[in-house]
Amino acid sequence: MRRRVFLSIFGILSCLMVMAEARFPKPDFTSGYEYPNISHGVPMEQFWNVLDIVLLVGMMSLVVWAAYKKRSRAVIYSTSLVSVGYFGFFRSGCVCSVGSLQNVTLALTDSDYHLPWYVLLIFLLPIVFALLFGRVFCSGVCPLGALQELVNVRNFRLSRAVSSALTTIPWIYLAFTILYAATRSQFLVCRLDPFIGIFRLGGDLGMIVFGVILLIMSVFIGRPFCQFLCPYGAVLSVFSSLSWKKMEITQKSCINCALCDKSCPVDAIHQPQSSKTKESRSTGVRRIVLMSILLPLFTIACGILLRQNSDALSRAHKDVYLYELVMAQQNNPDMDECLEVETFNAMGGNIDELKAKVEKVREDYAFYATLAGCLMGFVIGFKLLKWSLKRSRKTYEIDSARCTMCGKCFNYCPQNLTKK
Amino acid sequence: MNMDKDKLKSPMDRRNFLRTCGSLLAGGVALATGGILATKMKGEEGDVFWQIDPFACTQCGRCETDCVLPVSAVKCFHANKVCGYCDLCGGYYRPSVKDLNTAAENQMCPTGAIQRKFVEEPYFEYTIDENLCNGCGKCVKGCTSFGNGSLFLQVQQDLCQQCNECQIARVCPSDAIKRVSYKDAYKLKDHA
Repeated sequence: MRRRVFLSIFGILSCLMVMAEARFPKPDFTSGYEYPNISHGVPMEQFWNVLDIVLLVGMMSLVVWAAYKKRSRAVIYSTSLVSVGYFGFFRSGCVCSVGSLQNVTLALTDSDYHLPWYVLLIFLLPIVFALLFGRVFCSGVCPLGALQELVNVRNFRLSRAVSSALTTIPWIYLAFTILYAATRSQFLVCRLDPFIGIFRLGGDLGMIVFGVILLIMSVFIGRPFCQFLCPYGAVLSVFSSLSWKKMEITQKSCINCALCDKSCPVDAIHQPQSSKTKESRSTGVRRIVLMSILLPLFTIACGILLRQNSDALSRAHKDVYLYELVMAQQNNPDMDECLEVETFNAMGGNIDELKAKVEKVREDYAFYATLAGCLMGFVIGFKLLKWSLKRSRKTYEIDSARCTMCGKCFNYCPQNLTKK
Repeated sequence: MNMDKDKLKSPMDRRNFLRTCGSLLAGGVALATGGILATKMKGEEGDVFWQIDPFACTQCGRCETDCVLPVSAVKCFHANKVCGYCDLCGGYYRPSVKDLNTAAENQMCPTGAIQRKFVEEPYFEYTIDENLCNGCGKCVKGCTSFGNGSLFLQVQQDLCQQCNECQIARVCPSDAIKRVSYKDAYKLKDHA
């Protein structure tokens, strides 16, 4: 009976959910009982981070050697296997260079954020390699790229215009990534990483489905994620297009057979173009001048557009979201309290403090949304300007901004097969 | 002379010049970013390991459902030195149990991860089997509201993937999940 009463009291108390310490005194053991010694598993030590960096540099150097000296796809392909195995499945793909964009953004904007040394290296090393040799990292070191590379068997090409237009998506993605990371709202790249669920063999169902769809697509289209989504690839493409060394399809002279163009999975080979275009010089100049005027206009317009929508965007921030929930609750007290509001009230949350916080967040959003908008506008304008330039080319050349150095063209070029 | 002029005017040269300028600019940007970022690495080690502040945790149950792992890396920990060793444990028994015995339907834990062992009259020792625990926090809620609060949820570091952004931290209503550094890898209750 006593127990019954006890339990019903307990039921009431647990409903009230009061925080309390030491309601019951520490027991006096007379039987010589000793407290068990519980030890908890320690986190993976820095050893793995060091190994990550060593392997990153080692594998990138290997790809450089394979692409420039050995000129062999087999080596690059086997690097992809190692990358998927180690960086993908074993290290479960975290922290990756693509995601490190966000840590770096945070480090630049938030003075409280402490950037771990290996994240800095994971971010910087692929850029340094891109500046020297092109997108070596994308080739067979990035587990996301490597996974798509391994499953790619056929190349159904999108039309060049469509695929070029789609390359603006990574920049838009990058702008939002920076916006959300700088305002400490969320790490967009980590949330939308399509292959992490596959590497971890579990996770958010939606993302796994998205990853599987992308993977099936990459059987038929070369690297859809790298080409049309990856924000880090967009950054690398800038450095790669200005790289010190450029990859060559063949070290002998090109015979314009077009086989390399057919082989390229990422549409990164420029076709020869005669300089004698049909349009007159003045039309071309006029178009370029027009595009140069459009570039700043686009930049400003997109900046203003995003700034005006910054309040709506700021809903991605936890505090703003909570504030809106609390306000909705206050305006409509009959509504069921959701967990967030319940916790906020239970912890004695102060609505004015929250409001002040939210206003600060909204200010941040207004600033960074303008910045992100400008970036988007600039990229769109710049792409238009680039497309309006016509260049004469006599042979097939690699577009080093888009080339992911898979090495497929080596084996397709008949010049590479002939002996000296 | 004439040839020299032609050579100077050739578009390749201008293009190469622009490219070199671009390369130098890109190199400069990379160097500058690296330099600025290097100054941000103050201190010896970064805070990279996720931990729950057990005193801020409200046991909402999202740790069980939102972790990226199939079974959450959040487990129930037990601070024996805080525990009252009660016979009638709020973390072990469900409220309003009819007959007070250790049958499964009377237990708070949905996976039977709490083991109960008789020590001496009237004390019982409770141990968590972490292989069975799914981090739902039901026992923690019971213990915190009725007992000494010796049961608490914590991130098990050898299971945690140390995601760049913890999925549970994103949805935690009381913002209890924060990063800690390696040297204080665990926020425990009985250390105080």
